[in-house]
Amino acid sequence: MSLRFHWMFPKGGEVGMKTAQETSRVATTKAGSAAALPDLEGWARFARCAEEAGIESVLLSFSRYEPDTIFVACAVGQATRKLKFIVAYRLGLMQPATFVQQINTLSGVIGGRVSLNIVAGSSMVEQRGYGDFLEHDERYARAEEFLSVCRSFWANNGAVNFTGKYCRIEQGKLFTPFLAPDRSAPEIYVSGHSEQAQHLALTQGSCYLRLIDTPENLAGIVKRFRDKGIEVCLRLCVVCRPTHEDALAAAEALLPSEEIERQERRILSASDSKTLKDALATADDVGWMNRNLWAGLVPYYGSSAITLVGSPQDLAQAFMEYKQIGVTQFIISGWPKLDEMMIFGREVVPLVREAERSL
Amino acid sequence: MLPKGGEVALDGRQTPREAARYRIESMTTTSPAPRPDIAGWTHFARQAEAAGIESVLISFSRYEPDPFVVACALGQAVKKLKFIIAYRSGLMQPTTFVQQMNTVSALTDGRVSFNIVAGSSSEEQRGYGDFLSHDERYERAEEFLAVCNAFWRGEGEVDFAGRHYRVEQGKIATPFVSRNGESPEIYVSGHSEPSEQLAYSQGTCWLRAAEDPAKLAPIVARARSRGVGVCLRLCLVCRPTREEAIEVADSLLPEDRKESTIILKDDSQMYREGGQTNGAHWLNRSLWTGLVPHYGPVWTTLLGSPRELADRFIEYERIGVTEFIISGWPEVDTVNVFGREVLPLIRNK
Repeated sequence: MSLRFHWMFPKGGEVGMKTAQETSRVATTKAGSAAALPDLEGWARFARCAEEAGIESVLLSFSRYEPDTIFVACAVGQATRKLKFIVAYRLGLMQPATFVQQINTLSGVIGGRVSLNIVAGSSMVEQRGYGDFLEHDERYARAEEFLSVCRSFWANNGAVNFTGKYCRIEQGKLFTPFLAPDRSAPEIYVSGHSEQAQHLALTQGSCYLRLIDTPENLAGIVKRFRDKGIEVCLRLCVVCRPTHEDALAAAEALLPSEEIERQERRILSASDSKTLKDALATADDVGWMNRNLWAGLVPYYGSSAITLVGSPQDLAQAFMEYKQIGVTQFIISGWPKLDEMMIFGREVVPLVREAERSL
Repeated sequence: MLPKGGEVALDGRQTPREAARYRIESMTTTSPAPRPDIAGWTHFARQAEAAGIESVLISFSRYEPDPFVVACALGQAVKKLKFIIAYRSGLMQPTTFVQQMNTVSALTDGRVSFNIVAGSSSEEQRGYGDFLSHDERYERAEEFLAVCNAFWRGEGEVDFAGRHYRVEQGKIATPFVSRNGESPEIYVSGHSEPSEQLAYSQGTCWLRAAEDPAKLAPIVARARSRGVGVCLRLCLVCRPTREEAIEVADSLLPEDRKESTIILKDDSQMYREGGQTNGAHWLNRSLWTGLVPHYGPVWTTLLGSPRELADRFIEYERIGVTEFIISGWPEVDTVNVFGREVLPLIRNK
């Protein structure tokens, strides 16, 4: 199977932004940020470019700072024909039956181009604003029940009955099915670095989504998932330039001001997510994880900013190394949002496909 | 009223009876109605816009696609029509509901409002994970809307501690987008005492089934004096003469005189009342309830010639009714004839 490349969908207003500094999370969580509003024009342009670049899906992130992902997928899905949408959603926000009804309806209006990224919730403060007061571990226990109910609906074997600690359903029936040419249920990406997240991915997911690390560090984990029939998808950023040196210079130019660093560090250290803590520790400890993998941007742009830096050949080779250890998918971002994706589609994807053909 | 999926026949004409049967059978497992039908809906929506219809109500049930997603998709295809999204409370957190409502408003240039239904069938509610009784559901709906309204007032972070909901420092960055800068209109439907109170305390409009103006007058006056609008749900049969309209209405009666879909709404006062209107099927010369014992009060039918119908709407206007949500069989033909024949007569008055 060919490697599957997905891209991180830009926030509202980001398509027009040219520098990483502008798009840092600090700016997008401020009151009055353009990220709070949909940007259909920019998004439609980005989505069409993604289709051209050979990107399979875009990941839509969920937070209280952004429009609801289900409807962004619905609206942008009307403007595209091929691109798929990985809709991130937190649990604890609605009943599983309601969630299934919304996702099934969405599948029906965009030709089945939807999959899910389930996030148990990464910030206590934010979850409480949604009326969710469970602790980290309990959120995962609930997620287990939630997805189990969802999967019963998708299995479509008559009325759904479930009695758990967090979810209870009696004679649940939904008449609108998940509608896709090739599937009767969405792919489910489960993300997180904690034990509970990994367990959830193994029991209820179709793919484990985690931050990129060196192939040596990941090999064991990836094997464990692949042995159980679960795919592994890595989240990373790329900076690709004609030579390794050019790429290094471009990467370093992304470093922002000290003020942004201070604020971002405050956001990161307030979180109870293990993913964020791990990433920050890596950035503080080593910086360069190998010749091409750089954690230097994490303190400024968040945990998903671990960046693969290099020439098209460097990057293609790196992707092939991940393929060799069993990774099947990637969710990528870069700066500027649009340009880096076009470079990737033009320069890197063809090299990867060529290498795959000669395997 | 937005038609069910597949109800709008894009090729060939349907008789009123065929259209009615399609709707009745939409709750069976073999019906195509649960599948989204963007092509049919877009066709209907354009006709509705041309007819001078302001909004369409998109109903909620386990037999249909999710109305939020339908409104969002259809809102991309048509640019003027507004959408009243029916939703039950007890299905999601109010914060999430606000985020979804605000997102859809922003994606449709502010063309959304909603109709809150406390839930009309306990069996259906249990299938969604909701195990409260009728009156408790209203108590919860009160809290639900109080939290939503707190977000929409936009006075900073939302804190709420009630019996059913608890929110701490709630914040949603995406604002509700509307053309007049106000928060969404909230239609509260139901005939019970708690639904009336809920309409007053948290709603902007009380939505009920049509009844005779003489009976409605004091009810409408009461609601208007509390500062909320009144919207009537009714079906419409308009033909050149009253006799022709009655003939169409008669053709809609089921062959099986015991046929009933009301049993599915066991926990609704509105539907219980509807089931009891046996015997006298004419509330006045134009208002017919012959279908109500079978399919519930939203099948209360106003019928007659364009002139008679226009007069009836004016009568309702005089007693203070402000809005109507209309449906017919087939939906497209009814919206067309209403826009062409009835609405101009009303506007002339």
